[in-house]
Amino acid sequence: MPSHPLRVAVVCSSNQNRSMEAHNILSKRGFDVRSFGTGSHVKLPGPAPDKPNVYDFKTTYEQMYNDLVRKDKELYTQNGILHMLDRNKRIKSKPERFQNCKDKFDLVITCEERVYDQVVEDLNSREQETLQPVHVINVDIQDNHEEATDHICELFEEACACTGGIQHTDDMENEIDELLQEFEDKSNRPFLHTVCFY
Amino acid sequence: MDFSSQEGDSEAPAVIDMTTSEKVVELLNQAALIPTDEKLNVLKQVQELIINKDPSLLDNFLDEIIAFQTDKSIEVKKFVIGFIEEACKRDNELLLRLIANLNMLLKDESVNVVKKAILTLTQLYKVTLQWLVRSKAVSEMQEACWDLVTQMKGDVLALLDSENDGVRTHAIKFTESLIITLSPRTADSDVPKRQEGDISLDKVPTDHSYIHYDELCQEGKTALEKLLKFMVHPAISSINLTTALGSLATIARQRPMFMSEVVQAYETLHANLPPTLAKSQVSSVRKNLKLHLVAVLKHPCSLEFHGQICTLLLDLGMPQSEITRSTPAPREQRKRPRQEQYTEGKKVKIESSSTLIEDDEDKEEPAPLSVPKPAAVPVAQSAIDLTAEFLHPLLTPENVANLVLISMVYLPDIMPASFQATYTPVESAGTDAQIKHLARLMATQMTAAGIGPGLEQCKARGEGAVKEENDDDAATKDLLIKRKVPAMMVGQAISVVGGYAEKASPEVPAAAVKRLPEPILPSAQTKMTGATGRKKVFRLPDIVQQLSDSQIENLTSKAVKRILHSEKPIAQSGMSHVRVKLLSRLVTQFDGMMKSDVLEFILDDIRTRSDLAFSLLYQEYNTYLSQLPSGLLDSYDHCLYTLLSGLQEKPEQRDGLFTKLVLEAPIITESALEVIRRYCEDESRVYLGMTTLKELIVKRPSRQFQYLHVLLDLSSHEKEKVRTTALAFLKRMYEKDQLRDYIEKFALNYLQLLVHPNPPSLLFGADKDTEVAAPWTEETVRQCLFLYLSLLPLNHRLVHELASVYTEAIADIKRSVLRAIEQPIRGMGMNSPELLLLVENCPKGAETLVTRCLHILTDKVPPSPELVERVRDLYHKRVPDVRFLIPVINGLEKNEVIQALPKLIKLNPIVVKEVFNRLLGTQHSEGSSSVSPLTPGDLLIALHNIDSTKCDMKSIIKATNLCFGEKNVYTSEVLAVVMQQLMEQNPLPMLLMRTVIQSLTMYPRLGGFVMNILSRLIVKQVWKYPKVWEGFVKCCQRTKPQSFSVLLQLPPAQLTSVFERCPEMRAPLLQHVHSFTPHQQAHIPGSIMAVLEANKKPEPKPAEPVVETEVTDQELQMEAAPAPSVVEETPKEPETIVEPEPVTQKDEEEPMEQEESEPAIQEETLNISQVESEVETPVPEPEPAEEPMEESQPEPSEQPEPEKDTEADVATKEAENTSEDVE
Repeated sequence: MPSHPLRVAVVCSSNQNRSMEAHNILSKRGFDVRSFGTGSHVKLPGPAPDKPNVYDFKTTYEQMYNDLVRKDKELYTQNGILHMLDRNKRIKSKPERFQNCKDKFDLVITCEERVYDQVVEDLNSREQETLQPVHVINVDIQDNHEEATDHICELFEEACACTGGIQHTDDMENEIDELLQEFEDKSNRPFLHTVCFY
Repeated sequence: MDFSSQEGDSEAPAVIDMTTSEKVVELLNQAALIPTDEKLNVLKQVQELIINKDPSLLDNFLDEIIAFQTDKSIEVKKFVIGFIEEACKRDNELLLRLIANLNMLLKDESVNVVKKAILTLTQLYKVTLQWLVRSKAVSEMQEACWDLVTQMKGDVLALLDSENDGVRTHAIKFTESLIITLSPRTADSDVPKRQEGDISLDKVPTDHSYIHYDELCQEGKTALEKLLKFMVHPAISSINLTTALGSLATIARQRPMFMSEVVQAYETLHANLPPTLAKSQVSSVRKNLKLHLVAVLKHPCSLEFHGQICTLLLDLGMPQSEITRSTPAPREQRKRPRQEQYTEGKKVKIESSSTLIEDDEDKEEPAPLSVPKPAAVPVAQSAIDLTAEFLHPLLTPENVANLVLISMVYLPDIMPASFQATYTPVESAGTDAQIKHLARLMATQMTAAGIGPGLEQCKARGEGAVKEENDDDAATKDLLIKRKVPAMMVGQAISVVGGYAEKASPEVPAAAVKRLPEPILPSAQTKMTGATGRKKVFRLPDIVQQLSDSQIENLTSKAVKRILHSEKPIAQSGMSHVRVKLLSRLVTQFDGMMKSDVLEFILDDIRTRSDLAFSLLYQEYNTYLSQLPSGLLDSYDHCLYTLLSGLQEKPEQRDGLFTKLVLEAPIITESALEVIRRYCEDESRVYLGMTTLKELIVKRPSRQFQYLHVLLDLSSHEKEKVRTTALAFLKRMYEKDQLRDYIEKFALNYLQLLVHPNPPSLLFGADKDTEVAAPWTEETVRQCLFLYLSLLPLNHRLVHELASVYTEAIADIKRSVLRAIEQPIRGMGMNSPELLLLVENCPKGAETLVTRCLHILTDKVPPSPELVERVRDLYHKRVPDVRFLIPVINGLEKNEVIQALPKLIKLNPIVVKEVFNRLLGTQHSEGSSSVSPLTPGDLLIALHNIDSTKCDMKSIIKATNLCFGEKNVYTSEVLAVVMQQLMEQNPLPMLLMRTVIQSLTMYPRLGGFVMNILSRLIVKQVWKYPKVWEGFVKCCQRTKPQSFSVLLQLPPAQLTSVFERCPEMRAPLLQHVHSFTPHQQAHIPGSIMAVLEANKKPEPKPAEPVVETEVTDQELQMEAAPAPSVVEETPKEPETIVEPEPVTQKDEEEPMEQEESEPAIQEETLNISQVESEVETPVPEPEPAEEPMEESQPEPSEQPEPEKDTEADVATKEAENTSEDVE
């Protein structure tokens, strides 16, 4: 059972850009937050759309950084990947895969519908034990590093304000619906929301 | 364990395991004193120590740990719950002691604690059951424990209706677990590894001493029904629904016997998504449904339902390929499941769900059941199937099309989010599969609504179950589910089956499934409750006692009064706006005394209570609007009227509240307008009232003419202040284009009234009901003119309207009009093209009006050349009335004046006097720049030269007399020049000597000059002009000693004639000659001397001349009478010349002269009474006046003269005498 702070997980596909940005913001706001990816591999943009850099979840951000510096420092500086990795390695050492994490959360925020589906499927495939609920919320954020860092920040600000609202209520479950509806109306952005049980 | 033994107990194990026990004691001591976060840490250590490390200590420290359940911190309480769970799992015996604590915590006020307690009970329920099932002999304590657990189970199930969403979620999960526990595990059951050891119904012996298998089995089914019922509640929250969907999937997979209920529930839900869900929630739920359907599909027992599940999945948008992938390989032998699937307890053989379903399909009677209940649900299934089969052949394309058309009518205006999200185009329309699907969908709906052939057929079969069903229903019916249903979403609720599901018959289990928990909001569901009828609903009217009307009234008015008079306390609390709102709404909703009370209250101190006033007013208006189109404004009107008149009664108010109220009122009613009018009529408030009215006119264009009309009405008000203010406002508004026409029309309408022979009653206001016969009075005439005359200077064109009305009006009105127009005409000025046009056109009958205008224009300023030109034209070409010329006389040429002079001097003496004033410049008091075309001398000479055939001597004499009256103008010098010129004319003017004598009378010092004149007249043989000669003699006579030398210059014959006329002259003259020196005497011709000395004998003749002369003398003196003072002044005259004083004297005289000339000036002053006299002069008789003017008679105004003026009469007589005398 949770002790005081909500345990929050933010999940995107590669645990690089969106989930890390959210991780960064939320931890600065004092959340008990962790970040994950759901993909089978960690993928980073490469020199061409069909040539991504693929790593496994065991590779540290540091290693990826060095690898990319070696491959084409200018390209990855210019497209901001190195900057992102630099930030990531200061948050934690390496990406984590959600499906491999057996820790329990109160709230899982996903960054796109595909990730949401994977998270929900994973949670449902686990055997129920304590029946402790976990809320899964999807906030669609385009994984478009080059253009939309500002946009992402803004969206996360909003998302955090929303989760902040959740955080500060004693009775998250009772109010989450309303908070989401409110936020949905305000941001004019639909949310997927479900509950799963550990 | 009692408290006294605690210490001892904790000490005892210390001997055995000093370190662990000591550590626990130390930790517990710490925990009592430290803050929550650390406390939790410490307690977790303790838990670890006594449960896992050394369970033998558990019993010892149990009470100490449990004591923390009263801790203030929620987290600590939750820890205690967790500890209870762990402890009981570790040692089942502890259940006996701890279950009550859990029960307490289950009722904690913190929802988080309750939720945790539910989770723990979920676990401990199974633990307890297992523990009891294992025990061969059940103790009383154990029985009580089970009873309590059972009771707690009931409590948690009841929490499905909790107000808290999270608590409900937990209760659902508890229900899920309960259903699984209280149903038998079968070979088909998916059993999670972790739960392999868990108890389930199949492990419960049927012969247990305390636990009854049947009861548990029934409880399990009831729980499932409850869950199903819960799920179809229309106001279910999305999270609860999600949870329930998941629970059903779990149940279906772990207990395939319930597969059909689950699939059916999914079907129903899919067709009837709760209308309260928002769009995104709908997609979340659908996603979930898809996920769980796939999970169910993967279960081998779902085979029977593949058709339905696949259709659902297709509808949810899952590609067929994916569905196929998720479908397990079909079983080889369908009949196999019919064999024993599990052993129930020791012997019982029971049909699996698949058996039952096959029974349905085969239309076989269900096998005899050892347990009566399980049949109930599958019967519903068959009802749907039957109905679907019944429907299938009926669904021809034509029928379907008709159904669609009919249902179009029932579609909501706005597409519900659920529909929008779930809609997928029908891909295989018209295929048999699709028709089957449609039939099934409809069957689901119909069965849920309690109709269809399937139900009928099932009734008989279901009969047996009815009783129990109903009882169960009754047990759950009281439960109220309070859920947050956003009000706006309620409107989206639509039922697919038109008639709503109200006919659900309790006999049919399918309907029972569909029957809903007590709802809060949606109306459709309340109806349903009514239909079932037996539910005990809390109905306020049932328990409320009726109050009598008077009681109600009394209470209401007291309540309102309390709110009303709690002004200050509420203001202090900052909630005044709420009070104001409340009051206004209350008062507008309920009629009666309250309204007047509140209005009175407001008026007591309206300044501070204006917000209430406005609120009330708006509320009234709002009420009116809401009742449109049948609504009446009465109440609003009353409110506004009371407020406005209340304000009027208040003694002064500077803050413009009245204006504010009027301007912010949504509508100005008739009576409100009446109050505004009263304001305007109140002299102390007229300005405020009219300013407000003006604002209304400007700011409410839609009814501006109505408001304007009020102001227009006031423009002829009897109170002068009201009237003038109104006129001032109207003048300003007249400049606005959109108001101009209306104002003008109004003014002209009023003006037009003047053509009526009697004043219309409209002028007297509604209250003064006067007979039509009332004559026009000055007052009534002016009433018609006020507005018009104020507009006239702003729009000169209007002047023509006046002219046309004037010609038609009766004499009295004409007089009044002439009096009234002075100011506006002066305001227009003589350069006004319209005015000039009027002069030029001069309509018939308006001559007097035009003349009046001319006078007004010129009496302060000299006429402009344009005006003169127009008048001249008029005079020469159209109306040769010389009176037209008078106002512009100074603008005429010298010869024109001289030409007109004969006519002019024949006019009324007062008019003549005015003409002279104008010509002599004595008219304008000061600063007059008018330059007369004639010098005073010219004028006098012109008078002398008037042809006596054109004018009678009488008038000429009068005119010259007027000249002599202007002593300041006709100074001795002027007269000397005149005399000089006259004397040089040939022939001599008839009145020459008269003028000479008169001049001499006025200025005796002119004697020398006159002597000179006389001498020169002798040269001109004056005796040839009898009249002049006569005057010559008179003159000599008057200037006696001086004239002697002149007389001596006469030829003897003429001298004789002199003596004949005045014999008394001879002796003095002779004496005079005798006084001469001899030498001088020598110069006297003998013939003269002869005349002087001859005729000494007395003659009879002289008597006559004496008489004559005396008479003449007298008359001459009388002639001089106008200036008698002059004669007396004669001695002083030298002084005035010599001394410096005369200057001052002259100064003094000037004002006197002004006074003298006052009659003329006064005529021009504003004073109406004086104007009157002047007006009448040129207009002797309004009616007859036309004739002389038209016919252009040479003597237009002579006739009426004597009638009008007695002074004139005297003057005339005098003049007659004089002229006779002269002749």
